Amino acid sequence: MAFDGVFEAVDRIGGEPISARMARKAPIRHLDPTLLLTTLMLSAFGALMVLSATASQQEAAGLDPGTYFKRQLAYMAAGALLLLFVSFFDYRHFRGFAPFIYAATVIALIVVLTPLGDVQSGARRWIDFGAFQAQPSELAKIAVIVTVAAWLAERKTEVNAVDVAICGGLVAVPAVLIYLEPDLGTMIVFAALLGALLLVGGAKLRHFLALGAVGVVLVATVLQAGLLEDYQLKRITAFLDPNPDVQSVGYNLAQSEIAIGSGGITGKGLQGEKTQTTLDFVPEQHTDFIFTAVGEQLGFVGSAVLLVLFAFLIWRALRIANLSRDLFGTLVAAGIGTLWAFQLFVNVGMTMGIMPITGIPLPFVSFGGSSLLTNYLAVGLLLNIHMRRFL
Amino acid sequence: MAQRPGTLGVDRVTLRLAVLGVLIVAAFVGLFSRLWFLQVLASEQYEELARENRVRTVQSEPPRGQILDRNGTALVRNRLSLAVTIDRQVVQGRALTSKVLRRLEKILEVPARLMRIRLNDATVSPYKPVVVATDITIEQANAIRERQNRFPGVTVQKVPLRTYPFGPMAAVTLGYVGEISDENLKSEHFKGAKPPYAPGDIVGKAGIEYFYDRLLRGTPQLDRMIVNSAGDVVETHPVRDENPGDDLYLSLDAGIQKVAEEALAAGLAAARSEFNAPAAAAVVMDPTNGEVLALASNPTYDPEMLADGISFKEFDSLGGRTPDDPDDDALLNRAIQAQRAPGSTFKVVTAGAALGHDIIDPYVRLECPGSAVYPPEGGPGSVLFRNWTSTYFGFIDLPTSLEISCDTFYYELGWRMEEAWGPYNEGDRSERFQKYMRMAGFGHETGIDLPNEADGVVPDVAWCKRNEDLGYCPEGWLPGYTVNMAIGQGALVVTPIQMAVTYSAIANGGTVWEPRLALKLVRNDEDEEEVVREFRARSAARLPLDPTEIAMIREGLERVVSGSEGTARGAFAGFPLDLYPIAGKTGTAERGETGLNDSWFVSYGPSDDPRYVVSVYVEEAGHGGETAAPIARQIWEGIFGLDKVTLVRLGQDFSG
Repeated sequence: MAFDGVFEAVDRIGGEPISARMARKAPIRHLDPTLLLTTLMLSAFGALMVLSATASQQEAAGLDPGTYFKRQLAYMAAGALLLLFVSFFDYRHFRGFAPFIYAATVIALIVVLTPLGDVQSGARRWIDFGAFQAQPSELAKIAVIVTVAAWLAERKTEVNAVDVAICGGLVAVPAVLIYLEPDLGTMIVFAALLGALLLVGGAKLRHFLALGAVGVVLVATVLQAGLLEDYQLKRITAFLDPNPDVQSVGYNLAQSEIAIGSGGITGKGLQGEKTQTTLDFVPEQHTDFIFTAVGEQLGFVGSAVLLVLFAFLIWRALRIANLSRDLFGTLVAAGIGTLWAFQLFVNVGMTMGIMPITGIPLPFVSFGGSSLLTNYLAVGLLLNIHMRRFL
Repeated sequence: MAQRPGTLGVDRVTLRLAVLGVLIVAAFVGLFSRLWFLQVLASEQYEELARENRVRTVQSEPPRGQILDRNGTALVRNRLSLAVTIDRQVVQGRALTSKVLRRLEKILEVPARLMRIRLNDATVSPYKPVVVATDITIEQANAIRERQNRFPGVTVQKVPLRTYPFGPMAAVTLGYVGEISDENLKSEHFKGAKPPYAPGDIVGKAGIEYFYDRLLRGTPQLDRMIVNSAGDVVETHPVRDENPGDDLYLSLDAGIQKVAEEALAAGLAAARSEFNAPAAAAVVMDPTNGEVLALASNPTYDPEMLADGISFKEFDSLGGRTPDDPDDDALLNRAIQAQRAPGSTFKVVTAGAALGHDIIDPYVRLECPGSAVYPPEGGPGSVLFRNWTSTYFGFIDLPTSLEISCDTFYYELGWRMEEAWGPYNEGDRSERFQKYMRMAGFGHETGIDLPNEADGVVPDVAWCKRNEDLGYCPEGWLPGYTVNMAIGQGALVVTPIQMAVTYSAIANGGTVWEPRLALKLVRNDEDEEEVVREFRARSAARLPLDPTEIAMIREGLERVVSGSEGTARGAFAGFPLDLYPIAGKTGTAERGETGLNDSWFVSYGPSDDPRYVVSVYVEEAGHGGETAAPIARQIWEGIFGLDKVTLVRLGQDFSG
């Protein structure tokens, strides 16, 4: 007690004891429980839908109906560990590591294209590690966000044409590699990320106009040169066609809309029998078309709950972007928010026939380890930014 | 707002984040509105689509009811046939289809081309296996079953098929079955049935099979199946059990039908030595109750080749060889569909009209000259009407006019009726002749229980007006039309069944029947027969003739056969008329200016207590006494069981 006064004098800054100040600013005290809770609820929701979408087929095939569900739960557990790990280090270190992260990602994307890459459904998107397959294009989304954010943070919102070009180039390299897999959907996600990061990072209207012009020229060139596969074109145009060929390209879309539409207001229930879901009418339902299971079994109410959860999640991301103590954090958070919002819109939009069919998963809900881990990693980054907004 | 180190415009970043936020909110609005549309506004429609996706209704093919004659002799029954079916949900795509069909072709020796036509038939429900071959052998069935993996979607199963113990007998009357067509489904005949008709159902396509399809069809077993996206059946719910169709007894007498058809065939064969004689028809009817005992038409076809409903080529051959000329169309039931001028057989109708409305009394004597001019005063527009012979017969009575078939006698009746009831009279007095004809069964369907019966034509002023465009009655109605009609010529056309009906009325004292083929409907329930419905002919009208008037007509008709001058005397020479007195009337109908005559003979017997009416008509085959009467005679011999094996001989008849 005798020394108290002495230390107190030394420790005091602006009338507050340093220890108290330190304690107040301690990252652990600035967790974002809303974000964590929303993440948990969304991924639990997703795991449940994966179970519902796969159980009957698994059972019919004489397999454990919970196979996919259990794997998704395992991915969630791994994701949680990753989340903790990522939020532990100060995110600003990532800024320094950005060039290495970027390089590693590009190398991984190249490896995928080599014979080391694993081919599924005609696309080289995976690296087979035996026990599991990793999809580097998922992780590349975060890598690109961090890299571009790092670059733009340096410019302190004073962005010029050269910066825009460099950012475009930074995005283009992985995007082209992913296009070669081919994975048109993910490539388009990259374009959206670039736009959002430039918007928040301080690009001018003329930069966007220029980028838009380049985009148009690129698309025209791709179409002209016939670089798109026939099926890709058909999938893109199928949703514009009021009378698509329901037996082939339009089949997914037709079955998907039927599933969602027939769900009605309250849905057919998770135990609902003889639904589009349990009778396996919707292809790829546990992955890209998981929203159809939500729509059919839980109806408008369940779908709305899912969308509201996403709204919460994205709101938290943008809020963290705004609260961040530096531009890097702002950009990373805004990029992550955009990533989720864009994927949500394209994925749910495609199941309802307002967006073309592309292989983009629904974050946290679609079955798939790479996607889930990437999204947990993103949540970890957001938490990290939120926790350290006073340091 | 926290100060971001290294930023210049804090608020600018917040503003830019807000822009991003607005974009994201817009995306959410888009998603929610589409979701609202799908799940709230259009949900019902999508629910329906989802149901269609997963629910398949599958029907069995219930055995149809048998069709029997009045004595219980089966005319149409069922047999089980080994058939090959292909499930089009399994066999899809050009390559697989070709492969499967080629393999089947080798085993079944049915051309793949024919099976493919069948397979591509869009009217068959895609969920119903398509029958591509019937009556395959056990060896063929085993060849398929043993290598089932080479025949995906191919099944060998037993299907009930129609079989006809008497072959082509009564084919056009009994009809045939086949898969229900789109037109069938839309038609009144098949609407509102319980259970409703569905694509792929086997139904009657013609004749009795068509007319009484609802009674014969039975109720198929109905299973509702839930299928998954692969088309595999997940579960089956029986909805309804199978009920075989009821057995229908007809008034037809197989023995008489057989005799009638043999007589037609023999008569045509004999007539072809002199005439074209492409076709003929005969009706045998019971004048006491309107039941039809035989309904024969020639040419005809073998229904066995339509039994499986897949022999398209053969079916085509049944139609007319010359599409515009129905003469050789084997599917026509001439007994109810041939519409021809009746010639002199119609004189009983003219006499009836004149007697019934007191134009003449039964004892009238009229002159029978070789020809007569109408109007009698002559002048411009007058026409000379000739008798069939130039001989002058003097004044004759009504029975004699029928016996010798005096045309001028009936011209006079026609002229008198035209004067009394010409179309320019008012109300009830106008066109009474035509009104009598309609009452006697002409100008409309007789109402027999068969589809597509012909109306015939009773010409009158309205008919003239309706057919102006076709070039009829260029000068409007002329009195000569009535004069001509009186001997069964002109635009007047009738069907053999109509003649049978009107002669029944003469034979039974005046009752005009709506003839009936169906007798009773019998349900077989666990070997117990139960009559569930009985059919009776309805009386359509009564002729306004008193017994004396009818007696005079009947006396004339008896003398046609047995009188010394009778036009059918030659045809019935040697017939035991003392035991089986027959009465009838020959008819020789001129076909326009072609010089070809249709031959008619309508008769009833025994004439003192008529039990049968026989109406025979032969197309382009000379005089009534020449061809039709000998055919009728053979039918009469058959009816009375006369042990005679003489073939039909052409008779002598030169009357009109």
